[in-house]
Amino acid sequence: MHSVTFQRGSFFCRILLTSTNKPLTLPPLISQPHARDWALPTNHMPELAATSEDTRVYEICVLLPYPLSQKEEEQAQKEIEKLLSEASGKQIAKDAWGRRGLAYRIGGFDEGNFIVYHYELNPEQIKELDENLRIVKNVLRHMIVKPPKGYQIVQYSEQYEQWQKERVQAEETRKQHREEELKKKMLERQKRQTKRAAPKKEAVEEPTPKEEGREKLTAEIDKLIADDELEI
Amino acid sequence: MKQCPFCQKSVQYIDYKDYPTMKSYIDYFGNIMKRYYSGVCLRHQKMLKTAVERARFMGMLAYRK
Repeated sequence: MHSVTFQRGSFFCRILLTSTNKPLTLPPLISQPHARDWALPTNHMPELAATSEDTRVYEICVLLPYPLSQKEEEQAQKEIEKLLSEASGKQIAKDAWGRRGLAYRIGGFDEGNFIVYHYELNPEQIKELDENLRIVKNVLRHMIVKPPKGYQIVQYSEQYEQWQKERVQAEETRKQHREEELKKKMLERQKRQTKRAAPKKEAVEEPTPKEEGREKLTAEIDKLIADDELEI
Repeated sequence: MKQCPFCQKSVQYIDYKDYPTMKSYIDYFGNIMKRYYSGVCLRHQKMLKTAVERARFMGMLAYRK
């Protein structure tokens, strides 16, 4: 069985080929306008794969409190990395998110600093590592997740800035739309007002051509009547 | 029949760090939207649930607003 992974939007897709061993050429993606398209991350890193059979790739997410002195932060990070390397881990990627607001208060802190590590670890040592991480000072939360096959690491710290920029842009476009709509409405109103005013003027001006026409008609009729050649 | 928005993009995994994608399936109070309303298929709803629960544990999403 041969597997090919490719990316579409934020996630990865997987095609399983049973018979052919050639890599598939991908069909062109149809760009569908979707409400959530702006939110999908795009910067993917190469796919994860363990080098040896004894190890697996694990994702370790750690939450540190935000208002923390540099010394303490460095210490905590060093301790975590030391623990990970002690567990015969090989670092693949590290992603420090920086200051982020928390959805709820944890340990008296409203803001936190997320760090996401990708390590190659021995599955037997995970339990020990989990317990050790609990003891480390200044770690509010930690989680070890096994990413699925074909998972592509996304640097969310870079993504976050993009999201914020796009959010600001979206708001600006919304404001522009509103202003344009208001302008349109104003223009329509003005047009309506001019239309209302216009017919009255025409009504005043109209009689004169009619009267002229009548005068002409009467003159012609008089002429006709005056003609002696007409025999009635 | 409306197709599942995740199936349309042939999604294999929903990441718990991917806030914007999860955000649209969470209501004002922080509950996950019912499948009936969002039109997500069962397979992806389960993925979404694990992703949201992980994010909640790490403090990225609220349990309750």
